[in-house]
Amino acid sequence: MSSSSTETTQVVDVTMPQMGVSVAEGTVVAWRVEPGDRIEADQTICEITTDKIDTEVPAPVSGVVSEIIVPVDTTVAVGEVLARIATGDGAGATNGAGQAEAPAPEPEPAPQATATTAPPKRTADHDGAADGRRYSPVVQRIAAEHGIDLAQVPGTGRRGRVRKQDVMAFIESGSAGEAAGEEPPLHIESPYRPEPAAPSAPAAAPGRLSRVRRQIGEHMKRSLDTAATCTTWIEADMSRIEAARKQLGLTALPFVARATIAALREHPSLNATLEGENYAQHQDVNLGIAVSLGETGLIVPVVHGAHELSVEGLSSRIKDLARRARAGQLTPDEVRGGTFTITNPGQFGSIMATPIINQPQVAILDLEAVIKRPVVVTDADGNDSIAIRPMTILGLSWDHRALDGALSAQFLAAVKRHIEGWTGA
Amino acid sequence: MATETAQATAQRNGAVGHLQVEDRIWLLRAMLMMRRIEERAMSLYRQGKVPGSFYDGFGQEAVSAGAAFAMAPEDRLCILHRDLAAHIVRGVTPTRIFAQYMGRATGITGGRDGNVHFGDYRVGCVGMVSMLPDMMLVATGMAMAFKLRGERRVALTWFGDGSTSRGDFHEAMNWAGVQRLPVIFVLENNQFAYSTPLDKQFAVDPVERAAGYGFVGVTVDGNDAEAMFEATYEARQRALAGEGPTMIEAVTMRMHGHAAHDDMKYVPKEMVEEWRKRDPIERQEARLRKAGVDVEQIDAEVREEIDAAAKEALSSPMPDPSTATDGVFCEGEPEPLLDGQAPWSGFQSEAALEDDS
Amino acid sequence: MAPLTYLQAISAGLRDEMREDERVLLMGEDIGVFGGAFKVTDGFVAEFGLERVMDTPLAESGIIGTAIGAAVVGMRPVCEMQFSDFISCGFDQLVNVAGKMHYRQGLAVPLVVRLPSGGGFSGGPFHSQNPEGWFMHAPGIKVVAPSTAEDAKGLLHAAIHDPNPVCYMEHKHLYRRVKGEVSEGVFETPLTARVARSGSDLVVIAYGAMVHTALEATEDLEGASIEVLDLRCLKPLDEDAILDSVGRCSKVVVVDEANFTCAAGAQVAALIAERAFEDLDGPVVRVATPDVPIPFSPPLEQAVLPSVERVREACRELLEY
Repeated sequence: MSSSSTETTQVVDVTMPQMGVSVAEGTVVAWRVEPGDRIEADQTICEITTDKIDTEVPAPVSGVVSEIIVPVDTTVAVGEVLARIATGDGAGATNGAGQAEAPAPEPEPAPQATATTAPPKRTADHDGAADGRRYSPVVQRIAAEHGIDLAQVPGTGRRGRVRKQDVMAFIESGSAGEAAGEEPPLHIESPYRPEPAAPSAPAAAPGRLSRVRRQIGEHMKRSLDTAATCTTWIEADMSRIEAARKQLGLTALPFVARATIAALREHPSLNATLEGENYAQHQDVNLGIAVSLGETGLIVPVVHGAHELSVEGLSSRIKDLARRARAGQLTPDEVRGGTFTITNPGQFGSIMATPIINQPQVAILDLEAVIKRPVVVTDADGNDSIAIRPMTILGLSWDHRALDGALSAQFLAAVKRHIEGWTGA
Repeated sequence: MATETAQATAQRNGAVGHLQVEDRIWLLRAMLMMRRIEERAMSLYRQGKVPGSFYDGFGQEAVSAGAAFAMAPEDRLCILHRDLAAHIVRGVTPTRIFAQYMGRATGITGGRDGNVHFGDYRVGCVGMVSMLPDMMLVATGMAMAFKLRGERRVALTWFGDGSTSRGDFHEAMNWAGVQRLPVIFVLENNQFAYSTPLDKQFAVDPVERAAGYGFVGVTVDGNDAEAMFEATYEARQRALAGEGPTMIEAVTMRMHGHAAHDDMKYVPKEMVEEWRKRDPIERQEARLRKAGVDVEQIDAEVREEIDAAAKEALSSPMPDPSTATDGVFCEGEPEPLLDGQAPWSGFQSEAALEDDS
Repeated sequence: MAPLTYLQAISAGLRDEMREDERVLLMGEDIGVFGGAFKVTDGFVAEFGLERVMDTPLAESGIIGTAIGAAVVGMRPVCEMQFSDFISCGFDQLVNVAGKMHYRQGLAVPLVVRLPSGGGFSGGPFHSQNPEGWFMHAPGIKVVAPSTAEDAKGLLHAAIHDPNPVCYMEHKHLYRRVKGEVSEGVFETPLTARVARSGSDLVVIAYGAMVHTALEATEDLEGASIEVLDLRCLKPLDEDAILDSVGRCSKVVVVDEANFTCAAGAQVAALIAERAFEDLDGPVVRVATPDVPIPFSPPLEQAVLPSVERVREACRELLEY
């Protein structure tokens, strides 16, 4: 079922249903409606027959029949559009089915199930040389790496075949250099040679990106392709949180998480997901926390029901998730269902970033290093002075499709307010 | 069985057998939930929102509602595909059931398995497989562990008339009988295995075989939720007393085809008409009306809940294709089966009694 | 450390687990009072009682099915198939119920099935099979196959501790023929391959009894340096170890005692073709039992099982290539 929308109306397709696993097509027997008819959701729109059953097709939504596409006695494949129903302002309310539906997603090409493997690393000259001899893959590879003309290598294998040990012996004997046909240097040429290019001694093992890296890459690229990403920053004075966290022996992250949750409860439009045209605000805060797995990559476990947790509770849940993330012990549920994400690379000293939104969420908060800086502070009487304060820069990347700059700034201001006004709650 | 006098007293209090009036309402509600969910799911199926095939238990609601209602939180269940009410009794929400049908990430199996092939281990249930009655052996094994560890718990599983032809039926019945295990086998005799009628399935009514394996077999009207409850209650008491398994044959009728594509041409129309008069939900409604309960109100509440659940499920996400190869193996500590919901008022009073002592 | 036979090592492993963990439960036909067809559980009833060393009805589907039930409610059942061939009667429970359980519903099935496998003693078509390939092909089931006494014990511990269904292939031919030092107490052998002998000219990849055949066949091959890689775990396969050996040796002989088509070695050969093409200095050579039931009469049986001579000949041919 796909739908397209104009400003006031939406058109919903009625498709040939799959009546049984093996059914591939069906025939329209009779139409119960005509174009222009008003129809309620679940009301029968037409009758169909398949090789397994005769049945009625109920309307997926309420609205007005805008078009009948497949005439009676015509056979079409499962999934083909039979008719269209206009809904929306001009057409009457739906029962929710058409509107609330998540985008029945185009099945994306599954990121490689197990059966695929990396292609050969280089194209080999399979049939060997013009001398008519055939060489095994390993012999060709070694020859290419050492610039050896295999025609020069004596073979000791069956029918004079060049074996691996033959080409290795050829290299060890030192004949390789000559055989490769290098010209002797002229006297004006220095013996200096640039470092050999990578192939003979690659700095890092060449190879395909790991599965995890590829997945991260795909997710990140998809996010940037999908969202209208903007980033807004705000500076916050962490004095109170620094004091509180030292007292409890915790990191700043759970405090900022707590402040963020409080701000999300005030601005639920950021505690939301946007899939296609379906925007949903969430009551519960399921807080994603980006966890670095070192060189392997990154994972975002989710603290479900984070709004129900105290700072200590958040701290222990985050620690536990991070530990198990690094041990590869997270369950699928623990990396799903996030409504907002915090990323915290600031532990390494960086001060600003433009994080990428974790789809289908609409915003992500970046917590960077807390650094002591001179700042202007104003006392109760309005007198300004310069003080040394632990400051941090909070970056919020947000999706301009779902919200606007003013709202994200208000949200950041709320986070700042909860951080600076920390009361130990 | 209660004496006639006791029954009369109980009826004045809105109670029948071991059921209080609120229990009898619960049974109606569970059956209504099952029927309304399945009706809605069939509609969603025809609208192309439910992939694969779809199976329902129209007309058989009492079998699962009544039997599950007799099971305690710590008991364990293997539920069959026409027993949706058992999931409801144990505490699975309609939203997750719709999401399950539609292959959504929020369904009980997260899209790994379809339609009614599920069991939520968080409420003490192990999901069925299509090879029936494989779960009879699994239930037997759970009961074996309970007995070995000296725990006061019971396992229960449902299976159909067709299943009685398979070897696993024999292996489970025999094993449970030999070891006198606390297990209850509910044979859901709904007259047809796909299109195959009973007389092509067995020469002797399977309930009579129970005696051959050394335990009790009883036949119950499978369209009477309260009768199902009482029979299961007694079977559970027997199991807890160390008296071994019970086979309950619930006689009922599959009122729809085997699955959505099946128009049941092979079933005589008169047979369906005859069984329609014995609808388990109408029967329970009639009883409760007599007891002064507003059954229309209950149905309206159920419909409202189902509407909201279907809507919520429709807006829930599809599974992420990149997770398709995850979770084949368990890594780390296994999740334990957890206790389920057990709404029967008798369990509350049992708990109260235990607290007092 | 004490020298134990392969069989004694399995017994010792089971005994240690039964002592350490009361969730461990042994189930099988004739394993209790009688002590098992191969006497692996001899004397266990006296120490652990009839309930934990359970003589079951003669019902393989029943054994696997009830063990699944016990496993999901917290037990750690170890089932014995009297002969690995009989697992065909419990195939459905193992493959459809146990193997798919965690993927479908997040419920783990910590279950070990001991499968006395292999031929060479006139067991005939129903007491000589090597069915490991069936279970490598089925998702959700691990398969291990020890070749030494030490690994027999260590892999058994690893299998019992694993939260998944594990087929433990114990080769009957090794029961009393293989003896070695075995660590005491509970220890786990990792589910990875082991270099049984290192070399550089050619690698023979094998598991179970064929590791010994490979070692004997290549002990003295005109001075060639032959590596023998003992897979130990067939599902999941230790791909890194295989690719490492192939990378160093460039010539490979893969040996299975199982029937040729779709055997474990077929998967190993496919892996090498896909991932080590450029390391190869010759075709991947397979030695396996042809696709016939294992015959009873000694000359027929010896004609089909991979012998020391066949493996030696295959290596010699490939070395000359």
